[in-house]
Amino acid sequence: MRVVFADDNFLVREGVAGLLTETTDIELVETVADPDALLAAVGVHRPDAVLTDIRMPPTFTTEGIDAAKRIRAEFPATGVVVLSQYVEEDYAFELLCDGVEGLGYLLKERVTQVDDLVRALYDVSRGGSALDPKVVEGLLARKSTESTSALLGLTERELEVLQEVATGRSNAATATTLFMSERAVEKHVGAVFQKLGLVHESDVNRRVMAVLAYLDATGGARTR
Amino acid sequence: MPDLRVLVVDDQEPFRRAMRAVVDETEGFVVVGSAGSGEESLAMATELLPDLVLMDVNLPGIDGIEATRRLRAGAQPPVVILLSTYDEDQFDLAGCGAASYIAKAVFGPDRLSEAWAGACP
Repeated sequence: MRVVFADDNFLVREGVAGLLTETTDIELVETVADPDALLAAVGVHRPDAVLTDIRMPPTFTTEGIDAAKRIRAEFPATGVVVLSQYVEEDYAFELLCDGVEGLGYLLKERVTQVDDLVRALYDVSRGGSALDPKVVEGLLARKSTESTSALLGLTERELEVLQEVATGRSNAATATTLFMSERAVEKHVGAVFQKLGLVHESDVNRRVMAVLAYLDATGGARTR
Repeated sequence: MPDLRVLVVDDQEPFRRAMRAVVDETEGFVVVGSAGSGEESLAMATELLPDLVLMDVNLPGIDGIEATRRLRAGAQPPVVILLSTYDEDQFDLAGCGAASYIAKAVFGPDRLSEAWAGACP
Protein backbone atom coordinates (compact mmCIF):
# COMPACT_ATOMS: atom_id res chain seq x y z
CA MET A 1 0.00 0.00 0.00
CA ARG A 2 1.43 3.35 -1.07
CA VAL A 3 1.02 6.13 1.49
CA VAL A 4 1.63 9.89 1.67
CA PHE A 5 1.96 11.37 5.18
CA ALA A 6 1.56 15.03 6.19
CA ASP A 7 2.35 16.61 9.56
CA ASP A 8 3.93 19.97 10.28
CA ASN A 9 5.63 18.82 13.48
CA PHE A 10 9.09 17.41 12.89
CA LEU A 11 9.05 14.89 15.75
CA VAL A 12 5.72 13.34 14.77
CA ARG A 13 6.53 13.47 11.07
CA GLU A 14 9.87 11.75 11.41
CA GLY A 15 8.75 9.36 14.14
CA VAL A 16 5.64 8.14 12.36
CA ALA A 17 7.42 8.07 9.01
CA GLY A 18 10.03 5.80 10.59
CA LEU A 19 7.39 3.50 12.03
CA LEU A 20 5.55 3.27 8.69
CA THR A 21 8.77 2.64 6.80
CA GLU A 22 9.48 -0.31 9.08
CA THR A 23 6.07 -1.80 8.23
CA THR A 24 6.38 -4.50 5.58
CA ASP A 25 3.21 -3.77 3.63
CA ILE A 26 3.56 0.02 3.57
CA GLU A 27 5.50 2.03 1.02
CA LEU A 28 5.78 5.59 2.29
CA VAL A 29 6.14 7.43 -1.01
CA GLU A 30 6.39 10.98 0.35
CA THR A 31 6.33 12.83 3.66
CA VAL A 32 5.31 16.50 3.68
CA ALA A 33 4.77 19.32 6.17
CA ASP A 34 1.88 21.42 4.84
CA PRO A 35 -1.40 21.04 2.94
CA ASP A 36 -0.17 22.49 -0.35
CA ALA A 37 2.68 20.00 -0.45
CA LEU A 38 0.23 17.25 0.49
CA LEU A 39 -2.10 18.00 -2.42
CA ALA A 40 0.87 18.20 -4.78
CA ALA A 41 2.23 14.87 -3.53
CA VAL A 42 -1.13 13.17 -3.95
CA GLY A 43 -1.37 14.50 -7.49
CA VAL A 44 2.04 13.11 -8.33
CA HIS A 45 1.95 9.76 -6.54
CA ARG A 46 -1.79 8.90 -6.56
CA PRO A 47 -1.29 6.94 -3.32
CA ASP A 48 -3.65 4.29 -1.97
CA ALA A 49 -3.95 6.19 1.30
CA VAL A 50 -3.06 9.50 2.91
CA LEU A 51 -2.36 10.08 6.58
CA THR A 52 -2.62 13.74 7.54
CA ASP A 53 -2.58 15.97 10.57
CA ILE A 54 -5.61 18.28 10.86
CA ARG A 55 -3.98 21.44 12.17
CA MET A 56 -1.29 22.56 9.79
CA PRO A 57 -0.01 25.87 8.40
CA PRO A 58 -1.08 28.49 7.62
CA THR A 59 -3.98 28.78 10.12
CA PHE A 60 -3.49 25.60 12.16
CA THR A 61 -7.25 24.95 12.18
CA THR A 62 -8.88 22.66 9.61
CA GLU A 63 -6.27 22.39 6.87
CA GLY A 64 -6.18 18.59 7.11
CA ILE A 65 -9.97 18.30 6.92
CA ASP A 66 -10.09 20.59 3.90
CA ALA A 67 -7.30 18.66 2.21
CA ALA A 68 -9.01 15.33 2.96
CA LYS A 69 -12.22 16.48 1.31
CA ARG A 70 -10.39 17.78 -1.72
CA ILE A 71 -8.41 14.59 -2.08
CA ARG A 72 -11.54 12.45 -1.86
CA ALA A 73 -13.25 14.64 -4.46
CA GLU A 74 -10.33 14.78 -6.89
CA PHE A 75 -8.73 11.39 -6.28
CA PRO A 76 -11.53 9.04 -5.22
CA ALA A 77 -9.22 6.01 -5.28
CA THR A 78 -7.21 7.52 -2.43
CA GLY A 79 -8.45 7.00 1.13
CA VAL A 80 -7.62 9.54 3.84
CA VAL A 81 -7.08 9.16 7.57
CA VAL A 82 -6.90 12.43 9.51
CA LEU A 83 -5.10 12.73 12.84
CA SER A 84 -6.24 14.91 15.72
CA GLN A 85 -4.65 15.55 19.10
CA TYR A 86 -8.07 15.70 20.79
CA VAL A 87 -11.58 14.38 20.23
CA GLU A 88 -13.08 17.28 18.30
CA GLU A 89 -16.60 16.34 17.32
CA ASP A 90 -17.06 19.40 15.12
CA TYR A 91 -14.09 18.34 13.02
CA ALA A 92 -15.43 14.81 12.76
CA PHE A 93 -18.79 16.17 11.59
CA GLU A 94 -17.07 18.41 9.10
CA LEU A 95 -15.05 15.53 7.72
CA LEU A 96 -17.85 12.99 7.48
CA CYS A 97 -20.96 15.06 6.74
CA ASP A 98 -20.81 14.40 2.99
CA GLY A 99 -20.09 10.70 3.27
CA VAL A 100 -17.85 8.35 5.16
CA GLU A 101 -16.43 6.25 2.35
CA GLY A 102 -12.66 6.23 2.25
CA LEU A 103 -12.32 8.44 5.32
CA GLY A 104 -10.93 7.91 8.78
CA TYR A 105 -10.44 9.98 11.94
CA LEU A 106 -7.91 8.84 14.51
CA LEU A 107 -6.43 10.41 17.60
CA LYS A 108 -2.71 11.06 17.47
CA GLU A 109 -2.20 8.76 20.41
CA ARG A 110 -2.85 5.89 17.95
CA VAL A 111 0.15 6.70 15.80
CA THR A 112 2.51 4.74 18.00
CA GLN A 113 0.20 1.72 17.83
CA VAL A 114 1.30 0.80 14.35
CA ASP A 115 -1.10 -2.09 13.85
CA ASP A 116 -4.13 0.13 14.50
CA LEU A 117 -2.74 2.80 12.22
CA VAL A 118 -2.02 0.40 9.37
CA ARG A 119 -5.45 -1.21 9.72
CA ALA A 120 -7.09 2.21 9.42
CA LEU A 121 -5.04 3.03 6.32
CA TYR A 122 -6.03 -0.27 4.74
CA ASP A 123 -9.68 0.28 5.58
CA VAL A 124 -9.85 3.71 3.95
CA SER A 125 -7.79 2.60 0.95
CA ARG A 126 -10.49 0.03 0.25
CA GLY A 127 -13.28 2.58 0.48
CA GLY A 128 -14.13 1.75 4.07
CA SER A 129 -14.02 3.93 7.14
CA ALA A 130 -12.03 4.08 10.35
CA LEU A 131 -13.21 6.06 13.34
CA ASP A 132 -11.30 6.21 16.59
CA PRO A 133 -13.37 4.63 19.37
CA LYS A 134 -12.94 7.78 21.47
CA VAL A 135 -14.30 9.90 18.64
CA VAL A 136 -17.38 7.71 18.38
CA GLU A 137 -17.82 7.90 22.14
CA GLY A 138 -17.57 11.67 21.97
CA LEU A 139 -20.09 11.93 19.14
CA LEU A 140 -22.58 9.68 20.86
CA ALA A 141 -22.14 11.25 24.28
CA ARG A 142 -22.72 14.73 22.95
CA LYS A 143 -25.72 13.83 20.88
CA SER A 144 -27.31 11.63 23.50
CA THR A 145 -27.58 14.67 25.77
CA GLU A 146 -29.46 16.55 23.04
CA SER A 147 -31.53 13.74 21.64
CA THR A 148 -35.14 12.87 22.10
CA SER A 149 -35.39 10.64 19.06
CA ALA A 150 -33.49 7.88 17.32
CA LEU A 151 -30.96 6.81 19.90
CA LEU A 152 -33.53 6.67 22.65
CA GLY A 153 -35.16 3.90 20.65
CA LEU A 154 -32.14 1.71 21.21
CA THR A 155 -31.69 -0.50 24.20
CA GLU A 156 -28.62 -0.06 26.35
CA ARG A 157 -27.11 -3.21 24.88
CA GLU A 158 -27.85 -2.07 21.31
CA LEU A 159 -26.15 1.23 22.07
CA GLU A 160 -23.07 -0.60 23.33
CA VAL A 161 -22.99 -2.70 20.17
CA LEU A 162 -23.47 0.41 18.01
CA GLN A 163 -20.51 2.10 19.65
CA GLU A 164 -18.32 -0.92 18.98
CA VAL A 165 -19.30 -1.59 15.38
CA ALA A 166 -19.27 2.08 14.44
CA THR A 167 -15.56 2.18 15.16
CA GLY A 168 -15.04 -0.45 12.49
CA ARG A 169 -14.86 -3.50 14.73
CA SER A 170 -16.08 -6.76 13.26
CA ASN A 171 -18.93 -8.70 14.82
CA ALA A 172 -16.40 -11.18 16.15
CA ALA A 173 -14.28 -8.45 17.74
CA THR A 174 -17.38 -6.79 19.16
CA ALA A 175 -18.49 -10.11 20.61
CA THR A 176 -15.16 -10.50 22.36
CA THR A 177 -15.15 -6.96 23.71
CA LEU A 178 -18.69 -7.12 25.06
CA PHE A 179 -18.50 -10.75 26.23
CA MET A 180 -21.33 -11.81 23.94
CA SER A 181 -21.73 -14.49 21.32
CA GLU A 182 -21.18 -13.44 17.73
CA ARG A 183 -24.72 -14.48 16.96
CA ALA A 184 -26.02 -12.16 19.67
CA VAL A 185 -23.98 -9.31 18.20
CA GLU A 186 -25.45 -9.99 14.76
CA LYS A 187 -28.91 -9.84 16.25
CA HIS A 188 -28.25 -6.52 17.98
CA VAL A 189 -26.63 -5.06 14.87
CA GLY A 190 -29.67 -6.01 12.84
CA ALA A 191 -31.94 -4.35 15.38
CA VAL A 192 -29.83 -1.19 15.40
CA PHE A 193 -29.88 -0.93 11.61
CA GLN A 194 -33.61 -1.47 11.56
CA LYS A 195 -34.31 1.12 14.24
CA LEU A 196 -32.07 3.65 12.48
CA GLY A 197 -33.64 3.02 9.09
CA LEU A 198 -30.61 1.40 7.51
CA VAL A 199 -32.20 -1.92 6.66
CA HIS A 200 -31.83 -1.53 2.94
CA GLU A 201 -28.35 -0.08 2.93
CA SER A 202 -25.91 -2.22 1.01
CA ASP A 203 -22.98 0.08 1.65
CA VAL A 204 -20.03 -1.58 3.33
CA ASN A 205 -19.88 1.45 5.58
CA ARG A 206 -23.30 0.85 7.04
CA ARG A 207 -21.84 0.41 10.48
CA VAL A 208 -20.40 3.89 10.53
CA MET A 209 -23.49 5.20 8.80
CA ALA A 210 -25.47 3.96 11.77
CA VAL A 211 -23.78 6.61 13.85
CA LEU A 212 -24.20 9.27 11.21
CA ALA A 213 -27.82 8.38 10.58
CA TYR A 214 -28.42 8.90 14.22
CA LEU A 215 -26.66 12.25 14.13
CA ASP A 216 -28.71 13.31 11.11
CA ALA A 217 -31.89 12.22 12.82
CA THR A 218 -31.14 14.54 15.69
CA GLY A 219 -30.04 17.47 13.54
CA GLY A 220 -26.36 16.72 13.94
CA ALA A 221 -23.87 17.41 11.22
CA ARG A 222 -25.89 19.58 8.90
CA THR A 223 -27.42 21.95 11.42
CA ARG A 224 -24.41 23.27 13.24
CA MET B 1 29.03 27.71 28.79
CA PRO B 2 29.10 23.98 27.92
CA ASP B 3 26.15 22.38 26.20
CA LEU B 4 23.46 20.84 28.35
CA ARG B 5 23.76 17.07 28.25
CA VAL B 6 20.55 15.26 27.27
CA LEU B 7 19.45 11.64 27.57
CA VAL B 8 16.50 10.70 25.31
CA VAL B 9 14.20 7.83 26.28
CA ASP B 10 11.65 6.22 23.96
CA ASP B 11 10.88 2.60 23.18
CA GLN B 12 10.41 3.32 19.47
CA GLU B 13 13.64 3.87 17.62
CA PRO B 14 12.22 6.28 14.99
CA PHE B 15 11.04 8.58 17.79
CA ARG B 16 14.40 8.34 19.57
CA ARG B 17 16.07 9.31 16.31
CA ALA B 18 13.65 12.23 15.78
CA MET B 19 14.06 13.43 19.39
CA ARG B 20 17.82 13.38 18.93
CA ALA B 21 17.45 15.46 15.77
CA VAL B 22 15.31 18.03 17.60
CA VAL B 23 17.88 18.30 20.39
CA ASP B 24 20.68 18.65 17.86
CA GLU B 25 18.76 21.55 16.31
CA THR B 26 18.41 23.27 19.68
CA GLU B 27 21.25 25.62 20.54
CA GLY B 28 22.99 24.79 23.78
CA PHE B 29 21.86 21.16 24.01
CA VAL B 30 23.65 17.95 23.07
CA VAL B 31 22.46 14.34 23.20
CA VAL B 32 24.78 12.11 25.22
CA GLY B 33 22.73 8.92 25.09
CA SER B 34 19.45 7.27 24.21
CA ALA B 35 17.55 4.54 26.02
CA GLY B 36 14.72 2.28 24.90
CA SER B 37 13.14 1.53 28.29
CA GLY B 38 12.68 2.98 31.75
CA GLU B 39 15.11 0.51 33.25
CA GLU B 40 17.74 1.32 30.66
CA SER B 41 17.26 5.04 31.30
CA LEU B 42 18.04 4.56 34.99
CA ALA B 43 21.25 2.70 34.23
CA MET B 44 22.35 5.20 31.61
CA ALA B 45 21.54 8.19 33.80
CA THR B 46 23.77 6.74 36.55
CA GLU B 47 26.57 6.35 34.07
CA LEU B 48 26.18 9.53 32.01
CA LEU B 49 24.88 12.01 34.62
CA PRO B 50 22.81 14.00 32.09
CA ASP B 51 21.49 17.48 32.89
CA LEU B 52 18.17 16.72 31.21
CA VAL B 53 16.18 13.56 30.44
CA LEU B 54 13.52 13.64 27.71
CA MET B 55 11.29 10.76 28.80
CA ASP B 56 8.46 9.11 26.86
CA VAL B 57 5.58 8.22 29.21
CA ASN B 58 4.47 4.92 27.71
CA LEU B 59 7.33 2.48 28.01
CA PRO B 60 7.55 -1.27 28.43
CA GLY B 61 8.48 -2.38 31.94
CA ILE B 62 8.47 0.56 34.32
CA ASP B 63 6.77 3.45 32.58
CA GLY B 64 8.18 6.93 32.13
CA ILE B 65 6.38 8.27 35.19
CA GLU B 66 7.89 5.66 37.51
CA ALA B 67 11.29 6.04 35.86
CA THR B 68 11.06 9.79 36.47
CA ARG B 69 10.19 9.22 40.11
CA ARG B 70 13.26 7.03 40.55
CA LEU B 71 15.54 9.40 38.67
CA ARG B 72 14.39 12.34 40.74
CA ALA B 73 14.95 10.43 43.97
CA GLY B 74 18.69 10.17 43.22
CA ALA B 75 21.45 12.24 44.77
CA GLN B 76 22.06 14.42 41.70
CA PRO B 77 18.75 14.23 39.87
CA PRO B 78 18.51 15.45 36.29
CA VAL B 79 15.69 17.64 35.11
CA VAL B 80 13.06 15.39 33.49
CA ILE B 81 10.64 16.49 30.78
CA LEU B 82 7.92 13.99 29.92
CA LEU B 83 6.70 13.49 26.35
CA SER B 84 3.84 11.51 24.86
CA THR B 85 1.43 11.34 21.96
CA TYR B 86 -1.35 11.14 24.59
CA ASP B 87 -2.98 14.09 26.32
CA GLU B 88 -1.49 15.09 29.64
CA ASP B 89 -4.83 14.64 31.39
CA GLN B 90 -4.69 10.91 30.71
CA PHE B 91 -1.84 10.54 33.18
CA ASP B 92 -1.41 11.06 36.89
CA LEU B 93 1.84 12.99 36.95
CA ALA B 94 1.44 14.34 40.48
CA GLY B 95 4.51 13.92 42.61
CA CYS B 96 6.66 12.20 39.99
CA GLY B 97 9.08 15.12 39.89
CA ALA B 98 8.89 15.90 36.18
CA ALA B 99 9.58 19.54 35.37
CA SER B 100 6.97 19.63 32.64
CA TYR B 101 4.97 17.66 30.10
CA ILE B 102 5.07 18.31 26.37
CA ALA B 103 2.84 16.61 23.80
CA LYS B 104 4.96 15.10 21.05
CA ALA B 105 2.74 16.87 18.51
CA VAL B 106 4.11 20.26 19.58
CA PHE B 107 7.62 19.30 20.64
CA GLY B 108 10.41 21.18 18.92
CA PRO B 109 13.48 23.32 19.66
CA ASP B 110 11.41 26.28 20.90
CA ARG B 111 9.38 24.18 23.31
CA LEU B 112 12.49 22.42 24.55
CA SER B 113 14.23 25.74 25.28
CA GLU B 114 11.12 27.12 26.96
CA ALA B 115 10.69 24.03 29.10
CA TRP B 116 14.32 24.13 30.21
CA ALA B 117 14.06 27.83 31.02
CA GLY B 118 10.94 27.13 33.06
CA ALA B 119 12.63 24.32 34.94
CA CYS B 120 15.87 26.21 35.61
CA PRO B 121 15.04 29.95 35.71
